[in-house]
Amino acid sequence: MGRIVIFVFFLLTISGIVSANEVNIFSARHYDTDIQLYEKFTAKTGIKVNVVSGKDKALQKRIIEEGKDCTGDLYITADAGRLGAFQEKGMFQKVNSKVLKNLIPSNFRSPYWFGIAKRARVIYYATDRLSKSDLKGLSYEDLADSKWEGKVLIRKSNNVYNQSLVASLIANNGKKKTTEWAKGLVSNMARKPKGNDRAQILAVAAGEAELAVANTYYIALMLSGKKGPEQQAAAKKVKPFFPNQDNRGTHMNISGGGVLKHAPNKANAIKLLEFLLTKEAQEHIVNNTFEYPIIEGVQPNKLIAQFGLDFKQDLKTKVSKYGKNQAEALKIMTEADWE
Amino acid sequence: MSLLVMLPIATVFFGFFETTSDYFSLLINTFLLKYISNSILLLVGVLFLSFLFGVGAAYCVSFYEFPGVSFFKWALILSFAVPAYIYAYSLTAFFENYGTAFSILTYLFGPYEYNVFIPKVDGLFGSIISISFSLFGYVYVLSRASFYYQSQNLIDVGKNLGLSSKKTFFKIILPSARPAIVVGLSLVAMETLSDFGTVSFFSISTFTTAIYNAWISFDDLASANQLSFILLLFILFLFFVENFSRKKAKYHSPSKGGFVNRSKIKLIGKKSFYATCFCSILFFCSFLFPVLQMLYWTFKFPKYLQDLNFFSLGINTLLLVFLSCIMMIVFSFVSNYGNRVTKSKFLEILTTISISGYAIPGVILAVAFITLVSYLDSLIFINFKTMFIGSIFGLVIVYFVRFFALSSNGIKSGYVKINQSMDESAYLLGYSKFKTFTKVHIPYLKNSVFLISILIAIEIIKELPITLILRPFNFETFATTAYIYASQDLLEAAAAPSLFLILIASVFILFVSKYILSEN
Repeated sequence: MGRIVIFVFFLLTISGIVSANEVNIFSARHYDTDIQLYEKFTAKTGIKVNVVSGKDKALQKRIIEEGKDCTGDLYITADAGRLGAFQEKGMFQKVNSKVLKNLIPSNFRSPYWFGIAKRARVIYYATDRLSKSDLKGLSYEDLADSKWEGKVLIRKSNNVYNQSLVASLIANNGKKKTTEWAKGLVSNMARKPKGNDRAQILAVAAGEAELAVANTYYIALMLSGKKGPEQQAAAKKVKPFFPNQDNRGTHMNISGGGVLKHAPNKANAIKLLEFLLTKEAQEHIVNNTFEYPIIEGVQPNKLIAQFGLDFKQDLKTKVSKYGKNQAEALKIMTEADWE
Repeated sequence: MSLLVMLPIATVFFGFFETTSDYFSLLINTFLLKYISNSILLLVGVLFLSFLFGVGAAYCVSFYEFPGVSFFKWALILSFAVPAYIYAYSLTAFFENYGTAFSILTYLFGPYEYNVFIPKVDGLFGSIISISFSLFGYVYVLSRASFYYQSQNLIDVGKNLGLSSKKTFFKIILPSARPAIVVGLSLVAMETLSDFGTVSFFSISTFTTAIYNAWISFDDLASANQLSFILLLFILFLFFVENFSRKKAKYHSPSKGGFVNRSKIKLIGKKSFYATCFCSILFFCSFLFPVLQMLYWTFKFPKYLQDLNFFSLGINTLLLVFLSCIMMIVFSFVSNYGNRVTKSKFLEILTTISISGYAIPGVILAVAFITLVSYLDSLIFINFKTMFIGSIFGLVIVYFVRFFALSSNGIKSGYVKINQSMDESAYLLGYSKFKTFTKVHIPYLKNSVFLISILIAIEIIKELPITLILRPFNFETFATTAYIYASQDLLEAAAAPSLFLILIASVFILFVSKYILSEN
């Protein structure tokens, strides 16, 4: 019996090590539709794609500790801050790919990691209670205005999208002003922060508050009917408003990836990244996750495109800076009693 | 063996003396109190509800005869099959704005803004409910067993003294079942404190969150270790309380002769209605509700079911179960047999401490393991890191650390029942120690082994954080698949894998229900 067990262990261990024409991905962006995309890649190139998905930092921890023995080639995650922080730790290697450089706008890449898709963090309002003209000129900064006392919804401070948003505010307005802003926002909250982005949008639809801060793709997810007819109907009651149009533009974030420092299959990893930026792959992404495409010439899904595509994006604040400011952002939010 | 289990735990301990970043001071100044009070509220809430549900149900089915009693007796243990995080998914799905409750009301009474009338079961309250319903089974099973073996003589004495049934319950039945109830509650307490999935789903910050945050947002392993150390101390304290309360008491009637088969009291009228209601509601809430919610989704969104590769998920899940069971049972035998033969106090203490792995959050255990393996790897030339991290072997080892308590305690309680004189007789007959083990102990412990294997299986089927961090490439289980869907905000798609998870766990439970509820 014992021998059999040892043999089984042995086989399992070996099967994990043997490498072939493949690329190994650690992904904290675990859309099952990404898997379909990888299958397309395999069909095209013959390169097998292996995936471990999980929570962002736990995966990072595993990659760091595995060190030079790490068999991962590519690390993919949502949020530029996470990518930047991981780069700071020296876990990515530089990639010289003309294809990637030409396709991705400079704000959404670094020499180490590359944006795959974009999302905006916007403000939702219920169309039966507020109109676009009521919100004219609204900025993230205005959310701390006493005018919105008891009317704003936003999720908890431990959420990375909030940390990146606040990090961008720190980059633009400095720590002191951002601290005051966070305190003002907390006193404007309609309830203690709870639930995910979608829950904030639904709460506005249900009349619990007037404004909700959430990412763009959630509304499309509901409008698509993937969350059932009730939420589809509820989503029709709200609209996204793109803040800071009069100055730097709406806060943008990315999903992206980079080639890991000890990647055993570097060439394949770059091929995969390049594939993710082809028209075919970008169309697959925008139609399944409802993010914005990162390359020119691809239209977002019409559920998201209907809200306008000509809004001013914040291209001034480097997304690569989010990472540096995230810890500071959490500190500021924590001190402002933002749960 | 115990040392192996203790290594990751020791890693946590040694980190205590490292210097920390400013996260620790920030935390102390701001949220630590809040986190601690959340943890305490969670613990108290869960313990209270588990006690109420567990002891209440056990009392009803052990002492009374009412409609459905033989059904409820085993149906209530099905709650073991539903992990707290899946319960949390169901709660959210049902009560959220425009959720299932909204759909039902709309279907029944036509379109209207029902959201205002639907209570929001989330946050701390939601966590308490989810964890209580998925864990009260421990208290139920243990107190039921204890009630069942309670001496009829004691109760008769009470009756003769003129005690009412209420007084009998509080003065005789409850106190004499105390050790069993305490064991049940301490298991619930440990699982509650180590929970991460449920509280993070409801974004409630507990002590465990503080550990996770220290480590994740601030990369401050030292703070994380210090906080873990405090949690560990608290858990060890709980554990010793449990051990202590068990050791002091010899409540069970010692000989089989004294056991009088007690006849149950037949409830009539209102009382029987209440008993049936209580058990029905408990069964509904703890098992049917999450199952129905998941079924509803699976039917409402059939596409997700078609996408599910349940064959490979099932194989993976069962492979982990199989390997872990073998490893844990073998080592439980080794350590318990060692204790029995050598009677070493040191070994016994070591075993006791090694059991505390059960109470350490899986996330933290997994990371401690990764850190430990990397450290050991850096000491010697042979590269064994890849053998442990991202391999099934590594997964099984960490499961072992986490669940060794379960199997070791199980075998221990089996061993306690084998009288030491049995061994001595065997030696007198010229049996070697090994022969005594194979010819005497193993046949006696056959049922224990079976029972424990299944309990381990149920735990591993439900396990999430360890599997998530340490699994190999392209390796998914029902639990990880459900998690992945849930984390992309598609609880609808998480329904099918959750349902299969519950189904498989239920089948395992039904296998052992005979033993758990054994009346001989």
